[in-house]
Amino acid sequence: MKISKKYSIKKIVARLALLVIPAMAIGAYLLWHLNAYYSVLESQWITESLFLATGLFAGCLFYSFRFRFITTFLPLLLLLFIVNKIVNNLYTGEFTAFYATTKFYIFAFLFVTGWLAGWAFARLRWFPAVLSALLMLLQIIVVSNTTDITAQKLILAFAPVLVFAFYIIYTAELVLNMNDDEPKFTWFLTKKIIAFAAIAGIILLLILSFYKKEFQAIEKQYGGGKSEQQVPNKESLTKENKDGSVSNKKEMGLSGGRSSTKRLVFIAKLDNYFPNSDMPNPLYYTYDYYTKFDTSTQTLEVDSLMPSNDLFQPDPSKIPVYFTKTDSSVLVKAKGFLKRKVVSTEVYKALLSPKEFLAPETAFFCQPIAVEKDYRQQFKSAYRAKMLVSELNSAYFVYNPAGNKELEAFQKQRFDELRKVSTWNNEDAAFMSYYTFIPKGDDFDSIRVLANEITKNALAPIDKIIAVRNYFLSRDETGQPLFKYTENPGVPGLPSASKLNYFLFENRKGYCAYYAGATLFLLRALGLPTRVATGFLTMDRSTKNKGWYWFYEDQAHAWTQVFFPGYGWIDFDTTIPSTEQQQAPAPDGTPPITVQTALFVTHGKVTEVDTSKKRVDMSVSQMIYHDKTFDLKKPVLLDMDVSLATISKDSGEVSLGELKKGNEITALSFSEQFKDIAMKDSNNYEEIFQKIPKPAPIDEIKIIDTTQEKQQVKKEIKKNTLPFSQILRFGIIILVLVILLIFSLPWIIFKWLSYKARSAAALSQKAYWSYMAATYYCNQLGRSRGDMSPALFARGKIDTEFKTNLFAFMQVYLKTKYAKESLTNSEQAIIQNFYTPFYKAVKEKVPFKERFSKFLNFYRTINFFSKPKI
Amino acid sequence: METVNTDKALQNILRLTDNIETVIKGKRNQVKFVLTALLAKGHILMEDNPGTGKTVMAKTLAQSISGVGAHDSVSFKRIQFTPDLLPMDLLGSHIFDDIKKEFIFKKGPLFCNILLADEINRASPKVQSALLECMAENQITMGEITYKLSDLFFTIATQNPVEMEGTYPLPAAQLDRFFIKIVFGYVDEETELGIYKDYLGINNNLMHLQQVLGIDEILHLQQQSEDVFVHEEIIKAVRNIVWATRRNPDIVLAASTRAGIIFLKCLKAYALVNGRTYVIEDDVKDLSQPVLHHRLIYRNKEAKANTLNNIVFVEMDRLSKLRIH
Repeated sequence: MKISKKYSIKKIVARLALLVIPAMAIGAYLLWHLNAYYSVLESQWITESLFLATGLFAGCLFYSFRFRFITTFLPLLLLLFIVNKIVNNLYTGEFTAFYATTKFYIFAFLFVTGWLAGWAFARLRWFPAVLSALLMLLQIIVVSNTTDITAQKLILAFAPVLVFAFYIIYTAELVLNMNDDEPKFTWFLTKKIIAFAAIAGIILLLILSFYKKEFQAIEKQYGGGKSEQQVPNKESLTKENKDGSVSNKKEMGLSGGRSSTKRLVFIAKLDNYFPNSDMPNPLYYTYDYYTKFDTSTQTLEVDSLMPSNDLFQPDPSKIPVYFTKTDSSVLVKAKGFLKRKVVSTEVYKALLSPKEFLAPETAFFCQPIAVEKDYRQQFKSAYRAKMLVSELNSAYFVYNPAGNKELEAFQKQRFDELRKVSTWNNEDAAFMSYYTFIPKGDDFDSIRVLANEITKNALAPIDKIIAVRNYFLSRDETGQPLFKYTENPGVPGLPSASKLNYFLFENRKGYCAYYAGATLFLLRALGLPTRVATGFLTMDRSTKNKGWYWFYEDQAHAWTQVFFPGYGWIDFDTTIPSTEQQQAPAPDGTPPITVQTALFVTHGKVTEVDTSKKRVDMSVSQMIYHDKTFDLKKPVLLDMDVSLATISKDSGEVSLGELKKGNEITALSFSEQFKDIAMKDSNNYEEIFQKIPKPAPIDEIKIIDTTQEKQQVKKEIKKNTLPFSQILRFGIIILVLVILLIFSLPWIIFKWLSYKARSAAALSQKAYWSYMAATYYCNQLGRSRGDMSPALFARGKIDTEFKTNLFAFMQVYLKTKYAKESLTNSEQAIIQNFYTPFYKAVKEKVPFKERFSKFLNFYRTINFFSKPKI
Repeated sequence: METVNTDKALQNILRLTDNIETVIKGKRNQVKFVLTALLAKGHILMEDNPGTGKTVMAKTLAQSISGVGAHDSVSFKRIQFTPDLLPMDLLGSHIFDDIKKEFIFKKGPLFCNILLADEINRASPKVQSALLECMAENQITMGEITYKLSDLFFTIATQNPVEMEGTYPLPAAQLDRFFIKIVFGYVDEETELGIYKDYLGINNNLMHLQQVLGIDEILHLQQQSEDVFVHEEIIKAVRNIVWATRRNPDIVLAASTRAGIIFLKCLKAYALVNGRTYVIEDDVKDLSQPVLHHRLIYRNKEAKANTLNNIVFVEMDRLSKLRIH
């Protein structure tokens, strides 16, 4: 019953360093390769490799000790299963749940795969051979599925796997057969590995030079090179939600084309006019900004961490009607203070999801408003927004109605104004480097060259921007337009470098995202801070209702914004007009003109519903009375007459029966009865409640959907990926902690025993704990008692080795344990003075290295406390 | 009063041990076992190859408590067992007295205090049985008359390993009569060197060995050993070990209840021999082999080597983790 030493630290370290780490590397490489081959858009091979590596490392380390496989693997699966359940329950929203669960599955799969491989590395001798075979097979399958094979790709696919295969089989045997007692063990290993690397390198080079022709033949046969996949343009900038409403699509970045359908998304009234004129100045409705170019995925991304984030994104469906939400911090971050004015807009949503918020430029204020009854069929919800807009901003840049003097004057005036800006030297360096970032590489260099070529005659930045616009509008030597607008440009997925080049230099056909992406890089190449905005294109088609704009699905748009110091971000849309310009249908009907203002608005929870009497009680927590908002410190109970009221949810009108106790509602009243109530103190809400009619006549009740989101798409994901990755990180941290805990358990137990031995007051207690601590310490240091009797063990093994007085102590301890009689004074002294000197004596004799490694071995601890098996 | 007596008893034992050790070198454990058997009112069987000092041991012990001429000296007899030995050679016989004209009983060598039964397994089973009966009953029955043996009757039997030629192995039932069976074994290298250097001196020592204890003192020690305190957990441990031998499939003949009682008696005596008035777990470990091993019949050789050790190991583990207040 002795613990035989089944592992050696050297071997474990060698296994981890020589087998597991290369396996991690090849795993990461394969994941990257797979991601690249299957053109996964949001490639996360780094995270995925991390999962795999964690599993590999943990598994190999874990099974290097004498754990049984089944009894440890099953609990692991169970743990993953439980976490899976938690993840499922945590994310109830359909889409997010799906997203989170998928991510978790990926994690679980990779982790378990890694764990299994780790186990196999630790336990199975033949595993490296099997692993090599499997990896080769995998690469063959991957490569055979691709259509365009080049010699480079072949080598890329097979060389690392081939080298790894040889390496892992060779090294595994080396590690397995190594004699860890050998004094120059490390050097011996290094020699072998270096020799191996040299031979492998030579063989690979020989293979490459010998078969170069064959490679090229294969390349020809499979017609590699630049085959462009023709993917039907099914992607659109808008996305349909489950309930049929529309949101701006985000996860595909700018890769989508434009929707060809022409359903009305929303209409908006924008009180923006050209200076000293009644001519409406349309502004683009911004939804989001794309600022960051991810070099690994070659996509332009939404980055919530962008410097000076001036995006105001409230959820109007979460704000009670007529209540407001403002965020003035965005005004500072927008960095524009010259030629600015506050403009308001009213957005009536038709297809647009009630949760979406769009507004031109820097919005800072959102107030959901009621839709007048007659229009409720067409417009589900509405909000009012206020923005700080630049007087220099306009949707007109490419679309210049010819012959409009006023507009031409405006353009000239604003260009003159902007021409004053020639330098960004006073701007924050981080801000500038972020917004002028272009990756390095030949492809981007050619864009840089083109940018300089186009703008060689322009001095001021604004002239450079105009030059870029003019370049897109220019004609070639045959008089044909150089660039064309098309919904089907052939290459999806702008703006990776090669695709941008293809668009700029070869194809020259594309839709808004192409022009926006290309402009972004052209302008950034010139050092202008630029970003791409997405949202809706505003077209002034109205003649009778000035300032009203209609937005159809095909108006989803992307354009560039350039930052001018002092003036802020200014829209420059360089997308050229389509030659077969499809005009969106002319605005139909009259816009809803809100004449009503709710005199009395309350927000709170339903306490009672009486459907027969049409009476509803609510406890009011917030109230608006005559445009004055009150936050009630103590909820006030309000009796409401709802016989005339319409009750609605986000999805539309519902019956009174839908109103349930506990619902969060906003009640509106347009009743004249509220008009003429005289107030002594208009700040006292209690007085208002006393004077208003009881029951209060209510015209509208809006139920606020407090259940989990179902329609939010990317915005929610963006927010939820954070907690999810946090959970993942959390999980990994817990796992690491558990592993750490397992390995530090012996030490913790010893410290606890030590503490007890030192602090126990009663003599018999002290004797017991000293005995436990001492024997535990000895056991952990490899001096286990085995089948010796305690006294013999003390005298024959410990005392002879460490020159301690364990035997004397043991005698006294056994006396306290088994004898009736009490201890003599000298015996008491032995117990009192035993533990600390003993601990020191043993500690001195055993070097730290040995103590440390032995204390990692919790198998000894298990052995110490468990009942011996025979 | 109790403690004074105990102290005296402990001193006596120490004197006895030291005295024996002037002759028997490097056999401290064996000496202890012999004394244990003596104090537990039992008998001891020593087994080993010839020439390992068994007989010297017995003689030394006998002389230590039976000095020549002292009034309370014990009588020591030695019988060399041979195949042609008859029971009456041990017990004695009725012989006709010519003068008194009657049969008188001539006592045999068994009527003594310490008996050295040398090479017991050389005698025929008949003789063995005769000896073993009086060891168990402490009396001799000849015809109608029963003769009581002395209060102190201690047999030191020696035997050569069973495999040797010309031996009649003792049956298990008779082995059971011996409280302790020890294997004498060779001394370690250093001690052996010492013995060679000083064999004359050792011989001399044996010749001039002093009596250190009298028969009363031995009887008193025996009394004292009965008073040694045995903790309930130790008793439980004995019970557990005995039961474990019965449960173990590798043991054909398990320990009896009597074996358990003998084990306890030996534990008490052993504690006293070691200078303690209480039994500790070490005693259980030390005595389990000498007391139990020869009583058990194992299924095979491997079982013989390991089974009892494993049983005791488990029990020792339980004891060592106990927390008693």
